[in-house]
Amino acid sequence: MRMNLPLLVAGVALLAALPAVLPGGLLIASIQMLVAALFASAYGMLSGRAGMLSFGHAAYFGMGAFATVHAMNAFGGSGLLPTPLMPLVGAAAGLAIGVVAGWFATQRSGTTFAMITLAIAELLHALAPQLKGLFGGESGISTMRAPSLGLSFGSTTQVYYLTLVWVLLSIALLYFHTHTPAGRLTLALRENGHRLRFLGYNVHGLGVSAFAISAMFSGLAGGLQALSNEAANYAVFDAGVSATVVLNSYIGGVGSFLGPALGAALMTFFGYAVSDATQSWLLYQGVLFVLVMMFAPTGLSGLFGTGVRLVEQRGWRPAVFSALLVGGAAVLLTAGGVFAVELLQRLCSQDYRALAQAAAELPAVTLLGRPWSPTSVSTWMLPASLLACGTVLVFVARRRFGSAA
Amino acid sequence: MTDGVKNEPILRIRGLRKSFGPVEIIRGVDLDLQAGERRALIGPNGAGKSTLFHLISGNLRPSSGEIVLNGQHIEGWSPERVNRRGLGRSFQITNIFPKLTVFENVRIAVMQRYRLQYAFWRRIERMAAIREETERLLERVRLQHQAATLGGEMTYSAQRSLELAMTLASDPQVVLLDEPMAGMSSEETQYTAELIREVTAGRTLLLVEHDMDVVFSLGERISVLVYGQVIATGTPDEIRSHQGVREAYLGEEHAA
Repeated sequence: MRMNLPLLVAGVALLAALPAVLPGGLLIASIQMLVAALFASAYGMLSGRAGMLSFGHAAYFGMGAFATVHAMNAFGGSGLLPTPLMPLVGAAAGLAIGVVAGWFATQRSGTTFAMITLAIAELLHALAPQLKGLFGGESGISTMRAPSLGLSFGSTTQVYYLTLVWVLLSIALLYFHTHTPAGRLTLALRENGHRLRFLGYNVHGLGVSAFAISAMFSGLAGGLQALSNEAANYAVFDAGVSATVVLNSYIGGVGSFLGPALGAALMTFFGYAVSDATQSWLLYQGVLFVLVMMFAPTGLSGLFGTGVRLVEQRGWRPAVFSALLVGGAAVLLTAGGVFAVELLQRLCSQDYRALAQAAAELPAVTLLGRPWSPTSVSTWMLPASLLACGTVLVFVARRRFGSAA
Repeated sequence: MTDGVKNEPILRIRGLRKSFGPVEIIRGVDLDLQAGERRALIGPNGAGKSTLFHLISGNLRPSSGEIVLNGQHIEGWSPERVNRRGLGRSFQITNIFPKLTVFENVRIAVMQRYRLQYAFWRRIERMAAIREETERLLERVRLQHQAATLGGEMTYSAQRSLELAMTLASDPQVVLLDEPMAGMSSEETQYTAELIREVTAGRTLLLVEHDMDVVFSLGERISVLVYGQVIATGTPDEIRSHQGVREAYLGEEHAA
């Protein structure tokens, strides 16, 4: 994907205008989306461009978060490190531990590399609750954003702008990196590290540098999260944090530069939007990941690229038609699937089982503000017919557009 | 057969041995390469030709013996150190960056001498010297029109040319080519032999090849490796008439 300047300016302008139009809750979600986007960009640089699949990036994110919290408590927003520069401490911490961890992990490649990264993150996760001074035990450490440089940093809007500036700057730097000799070499490292050695390159050094840069920006993302949350807890080292950044990046597509960032922003938004409405968000996240890997292994950005190619090859009309067809199929399948899952989830819940034991016949469950009886055929016909219609649309799309759809 | 050494050779190998477990593949190789000569290394399958290349280029560590490149002991060195000391090599199986463009493949090879692997603050597109050198190399191997093609999408013989360009990019004094014509048609073989002659001019070449026409035309001198030992070194004529070589390797139909 080429960088399109008008599109870029419009995107930045849109992001800058968000605090004026969004309510507070959504603005906080936007901060989380920005942080997740930066974290995924840093991750995508390592796994997509340098070809190193890390399963323990929570370690660098978490170290960045804790380092920033400690720095905020130590400096209090005055002196050499005013509040807006605090994320730099997170970046420095990510870089430092990234050099050390990367030095070990990049001795190996493939599965062994992945296992080492996983082990390092798990080590920190197990160690953190024990080290009260450093990580605050199980409750973690809290802090305050101190006023600095004439700004209070008390409002969500100010935190949003601070986060936005850091995220845009970091993503721009990561993009710049792809055009430096070091950045080109990470591609060669992914393609064929063996050949690089016979061209005179120290492959281990290249691996450590790519790993450390990725860890540095992960640490910066962690620092931004700490700055926003005014706290850090050992849960940032959780394997779930490492897994989420992998899933986000691959759902967005590690093959393109902005893919991981968009994937992370999208998934974080969905997580925020539906976490109140459903208890099955993790299931949906997992199913989505599996589906993307099976049917669109290049991720959502790859899907977008396929659409662009379709327009170029066959013109607007068939492309829009096929997009509608595929989109319609996706909506129907999602609606049917979600309905079935939510129904089953309610039927299997403990509350419902207690109710069912007390009642003479199976009571109805409430979904979408309506009672649904589990014994009536129409309750099950709805998701079944949605799924069936969606499947038919998939077949139609396949026949019309072959593999391109 | 002696090497008739007058000057200090650019590559000197003495008593080189390599065992894999109980099996000894290289059993005391002595070999001298004079600066600027083109030497072909021949031998039956399993004689240890590729192993010898791996030992010289740092891919394998010798069990014992010495390898001296330009006055410097390099036995047991890492491949990148050996390369920076002035030795470039190609591989029997095409070894490129398949998903990068031809231009990028060569540019990465060119960049090394500029010591830019940790340059995080400069745009590579701005570096005119690197671009020019890359273009020059592509022209030399006649791939300038395919610069934007992905390496992995070219024909086999074009990939071999690309590998030649990558091998030459570090401006090595000694070039090791491992079966550069393997799997080529006779036309491609002829083309590649001419290309190799042209681009390795002024360098020392050690070439492993099975095509005897190529060996006898390209190699100024030939060394014969049989069961991990060099049994003969000489001019093409000397090797053709060498009794031991005929028995061990060439076979009666070739000698006749």
